[in-house]
Amino acid sequence: MTRVRSRFFLIGTVLLMALLAGYIVLQALVFSRATTSVDVGFVGAANALAQPLKTVAATESVNVKTHLVPDVASGNSQVEAGRLDVLVSGDPAGPAVTVKDDLNPTLAATLSGLVKQVALDEAMVAGGVDPSAINAKVATATIHLVVLDPNAAVKLQRQVVAIFVAALLYVALVLYGQFVAAGVVEEKANRIIEILLSTVRPRQLLFGKVVGIGLMGFLQLLLLGAVGLIAATQTHVIDVPSIGVTAVLGALLWFVLGFIFYALIFAAGGSLISRQEDLGAVTGPITMLIVGSYLAYFWVAANPTDPLGVLLSMLPPFAPTLMPARMATGDAQVWQVVVAIVLMIGGIAAMNWLAARIYFNSVLRVGSRVKLMEAWRGRQ
Amino acid sequence: MTKRYGELVAVRNLELEVRPGEVFGFVGSNGAGKTTTMRIVLGVLGADAGEVLWEGSPIGFETRRRIGYMPEERGLYPKMRIGEQLRYLSQLHGTSSAEATAATRQWLDRFGLADRSGDEVIKLSHGNQQRVQLAAALVFDPVLLILDEPFAGLDPEAVDSMSEVLHERAAEGVPVVFSSHQLDLVERICDRVGIIQHGHLIACGTIDELRGRGPRRLWVDAPAAPSGWAAALPGVHVDRVDGTRVLLQLDASADDQAVLRAALATGPVHEFRRDQPSLLDVFREAMSETRVVAAS
Repeated sequence: MTRVRSRFFLIGTVLLMALLAGYIVLQALVFSRATTSVDVGFVGAANALAQPLKTVAATESVNVKTHLVPDVASGNSQVEAGRLDVLVSGDPAGPAVTVKDDLNPTLAATLSGLVKQVALDEAMVAGGVDPSAINAKVATATIHLVVLDPNAAVKLQRQVVAIFVAALLYVALVLYGQFVAAGVVEEKANRIIEILLSTVRPRQLLFGKVVGIGLMGFLQLLLLGAVGLIAATQTHVIDVPSIGVTAVLGALLWFVLGFIFYALIFAAGGSLISRQEDLGAVTGPITMLIVGSYLAYFWVAANPTDPLGVLLSMLPPFAPTLMPARMATGDAQVWQVVVAIVLMIGGIAAMNWLAARIYFNSVLRVGSRVKLMEAWRGRQ
Repeated sequence: MTKRYGELVAVRNLELEVRPGEVFGFVGSNGAGKTTTMRIVLGVLGADAGEVLWEGSPIGFETRRRIGYMPEERGLYPKMRIGEQLRYLSQLHGTSSAEATAATRQWLDRFGLADRSGDEVIKLSHGNQQRVQLAAALVFDPVLLILDEPFAGLDPEAVDSMSEVLHERAAEGVPVVFSSHQLDLVERICDRVGIIQHGHLIACGTIDELRGRGPRRLWVDAPAAPSGWAAALPGVHVDRVDGTRVLLQLDASADDQAVLRAALATGPVHEFRRDQPSLLDVFREAMSETRVVAAS
């Protein structure tokens, strides 16, 4: 409770939620094609291109503001001064286009298309053909679109979500795992452990710590998940809400499983030492394992069908980060998820036995760091 | 009970009894096995042999939960508020929420800490931390109190108020066991004392019993007596000469009245007094005896 109430924790949670929402909004801005605005000046006959340019460019997310310019010289000076981005002058079928340094590519393509159309219309008129009839006919010509991979966009979204899930689990497991280790050391360093053990059985104490801190983590993750989901769907970073919901539920499930597994290891590690200063030495290797499986996800994501990655994602030390990520991408098959959960529960049972034994044997030993083998044998 | 740590035997065939309403002092050098014994009684450690009996039958978890314990190295959450901490520890020992709140208030009042209830333990002075630590052992109305060095580092006033509380508890029938290095304090506070050395209980009894255990000694001041006047008396041995005063050690066969008559025969006698050993003397005596035994 003291930890939950601490200002640090509250601020941290709010900050994390704000960061997450901000990150998603940023993603939304980067991914959506931003509308650019261009000032285009037209001289004389070239003004015939103004309206068509504005209409066509708008469909390409370029907002064209047209300006009528009296002559080329004043137009050039306006371009020079930056008041105009582009100056179009001369014959509409072959106009001169003046810019300061470069021409917006969308605008360039649109302009040259328009100019070709003007040239074509002029040629048709010269050949005695009615351009409107021909153009109407041309307008009916269309492509027949065959989509081979309609889910490509969704797939990309899933991958983004998956990496996010893996990162979130990695951070949560390391953070809350270290809270557990620090909590165990705190009780050992203050010797309150002696009072506690005289009234609470060691197993209750160990599990109380794991469950208490786990609940706190679960709550925080739940809040983050909710904020993330709302932000992501509102900004259309994720179009299909079910992707997000599955990802969040998967992440929560694997946080519970992974946290119990790793928290037991962290607790056993914490019980070996008596001072907060030694915490890094025992939590380091455990943290490395979690970081390692997070990093492994990038390889797994690139090779989604590789048997090694599939295997790793089902093994207890790696599953808590790999499996929820693979579930988010939709790569994980149902049987793989089931096998991973069964193995994970087995891993928790094994760790419960192993870590509890180390914890019981070392939690009352104060002084220098307890050697792992001694803790195992139970030599007091 | 017996407890081994690998090769080292921390407690060897130790047997002692503490009675209801008794303040029992547990005395011994560092590493003698006091803390180990206490931890075994609490169930924090398991004994390799022997058992702990409560009212004649093996002590169970439910009884152990009602033991008030004060570990030697103080054990409280430094950043938890005092009131909250005491309530939590009280409930951990099986009281209801209302009982815990009432007991917390009662003990904080008793120790004059009522206005510090919302403070973190770390912000208190050493003496006040000690008081909170004792309160933590009392907030669930314990059936037995086990206190490891409760008086270490306390000023005389704090010692008095703490021992007053212990005697009150004892008067209500709660056995109180505490360990200490401060023998003068133990002598003053305890009803009975156990001396432990190398895991052995080498002496146990009331303060008077322990004092009486040693050889009978007499201080005699007979200024007119020739030196060596007492040496010839049967069963008497001169322990020390201090000016005209002599400290005589009498063995079982010696008659102190014969000594008095012999002294009076030499002239006036200004002092004739039974030498009462302090607990420290008893302790030293007991220590040297075991050393002799160990050597032979």
